[in-house]
Amino acid sequence: MQMAKADRATAIVLLALGLAMVVGGWTMDRLEIRQIHPASIPGLLPMILGGLLSLCAVLLWRASSGSSGPGNARLMTGGSWARLGLTTGLCIVYALGLIGTLSYFWATAIFTFAFSLTFSFPVDGTPRARGISVASCAVLAFGVAFGSALLFEELFLVRLP
Amino acid sequence: MSGLTDLFAGLVTLSTPEMLFHAAWATLLGIIVGSLPGLTATMGVALMTTLTYSLDSTAAILVLICMYVGAIYGGSRSAILLNIPGTPASAATSLDGYPLAKAGRAGYAMGLATAGSALGTVAGIVMLVMIAPPLAEAALNFGSFEFFWLAVFGVIISGQLTADTTPLKGYIAGILGLMVAMIGSEGIHAHIRFSFGISDLNAGIALIPAMVGAFGFAEVMTAMWNRAGELATQKDKSDRTLPHLIDLWRYKVTIVRSGIIGTLVGIIPGVGEDIGAWASYAAARKTSKEADRFGHGSQEGLMAAETGNSAVVPGSLIPAITLAIPGSASSAVLIAALFIHGIRPGPLIMIEQPHFIGLVSAMLLMATLFMAIFGLTLTRVFIQVLRVPYAYLMPVVFVLCVIGTYALSQRMFDIWVMVFFGLVGFVLRQMKYPMAPLVLGIILGDLLDKSLRRGLTLSDGDLLPFFTRPVSATFVAVIALSILANIPAVRRGVASLLGRIGGRHA
Repeated sequence: MQMAKADRATAIVLLALGLAMVVGGWTMDRLEIRQIHPASIPGLLPMILGGLLSLCAVLLWRASSGSSGPGNARLMTGGSWARLGLTTGLCIVYALGLIGTLSYFWATAIFTFAFSLTFSFPVDGTPRARGISVASCAVLAFGVAFGSALLFEELFLVRLP
Repeated sequence: MSGLTDLFAGLVTLSTPEMLFHAAWATLLGIIVGSLPGLTATMGVALMTTLTYSLDSTAAILVLICMYVGAIYGGSRSAILLNIPGTPASAATSLDGYPLAKAGRAGYAMGLATAGSALGTVAGIVMLVMIAPPLAEAALNFGSFEFFWLAVFGVIISGQLTADTTPLKGYIAGILGLMVAMIGSEGIHAHIRFSFGISDLNAGIALIPAMVGAFGFAEVMTAMWNRAGELATQKDKSDRTLPHLIDLWRYKVTIVRSGIIGTLVGIIPGVGEDIGAWASYAAARKTSKEADRFGHGSQEGLMAAETGNSAVVPGSLIPAITLAIPGSASSAVLIAALFIHGIRPGPLIMIEQPHFIGLVSAMLLMATLFMAIFGLTLTRVFIQVLRVPYAYLMPVVFVLCVIGTYALSQRMFDIWVMVFFGLVGFVLRQMKYPMAPLVLGIILGDLLDKSLRRGLTLSDGDLLPFFTRPVSATFVAVIALSILANIPAVRRGVASLLGRIGGRHA
């Protein structure tokens, strides 16, 4: 995707957010019942920020309409989508799925093992190389799970999730 | 003189085996974190904050400062050896450091970088001791009107100077940060805003989970997305890491100038080490006798960049301690950490804890000492550290992001916040939105909100005092000028006006 196109899409999202903020600030409780000074209503700054964001969104849209300069640069080039997708997926499954469902130790061990093995497994390697890779990932996984659990639970007295 | 006395008193306080031990391991860890591309100083300080809850306040702050100093310096390792800056602060370092490494002088380049960083930090410490106390005293006269403009100034300037492409994206990032700060209970009437019935949002979005997400999770994704670099293949034939004194003496003007530029850049809210390095580098190139060698292995260029970025660290602590306004993203985390440990940064610091600035200066000095020792003696160890595969490193970093965030208040909600900010931070970064104004917005939102409404209440709704009080008027003028300077039509108009005046005089 080109930067200009992405900027235009972002401008729409930001405009919607800005206007929502203005409406949110305007409709916010003005605490008349507490007889506060009218200039100190809680919605004042949200309204101003919403207005400013809307203005910036319009300026961003206008700036991205030009056809030259950085607007022509392509976004997200030079990296690996597969690696990014796998990383994001594994991290989200761990943080939002495994943690809280399994005990911290097992959640962390499974995540670390899966992450390290996914990105280090020698697909074209010899059976010995594959075995070493699996074993090192398992050692890392249990080491990280045990070490971090010990550190936070015993030393920092955190009740682990 | 009292500043120096406090500095010596601070050094005495820190001269216990326990404190020396904390300073040593934290600086070493900082160098390792900084040297690994994908792990930045801000991320290191944010993660370390979660690991120092249980330490007493002096030890915790010492650890965080040592991590900060170490990480900014550590970035030079990968910049020199891999041509990939370990942290954005070392981008300018790679321009001359990598060519030196390729020419077989990696060891000497790292020695020069070490000397530059150490001297830069010392220059910054001197200015911290000199500037911070009078600034804190001057800030005691600030009222709501001044603090309102100070917060606006911070977000605007940070947005302007940290944006890669257009300042507009910096402003947007700053406004988004301020909007995040609007969530939860507000500071004047305790009214809960934008919680949407979610009780976890009543207290607002905590800075640490947001920063661990934006600088931790987002960086894990960025590191895995990017391809890994290759080590400079040629071995270091010079086999010398200790810089020649004659070289340091030859570049004395560059060192002093870069130290001052770096510190001044650090004082500007939200403008971090990368800008300090680039500004120092540009100034050195402009005045250098060997300007043509810049970018091709210039020792002076390397010294300027490293002195400049390291001087930002003490510089960024000046507004952080005296005004509670961070000079850089890492110092924003430090402010949050200070609050966690019961220290209230701001103008009252000189009254509540008059020796604190001296103590922080002593911590910086101690970090500099260990940085120099490790930097000059462990060169080859750091080369090995750079060989650790991301496949093993990144899951460990993410585990720390998760458990560190959770440990803050032991609730799952903070982990969700961290993941949210990680995903949003990654997308925003790819679209060239700077993260520093966003962070600054989150930390300054409360100050901005309270100062605006308090000011309006004091003036009975009159806007005039916001513009007529001397300090406020100065801030307004600077803000207006800096925004106007970015409007192309205004710039063209000023240029043609200046051209006409010049022509008339000629």
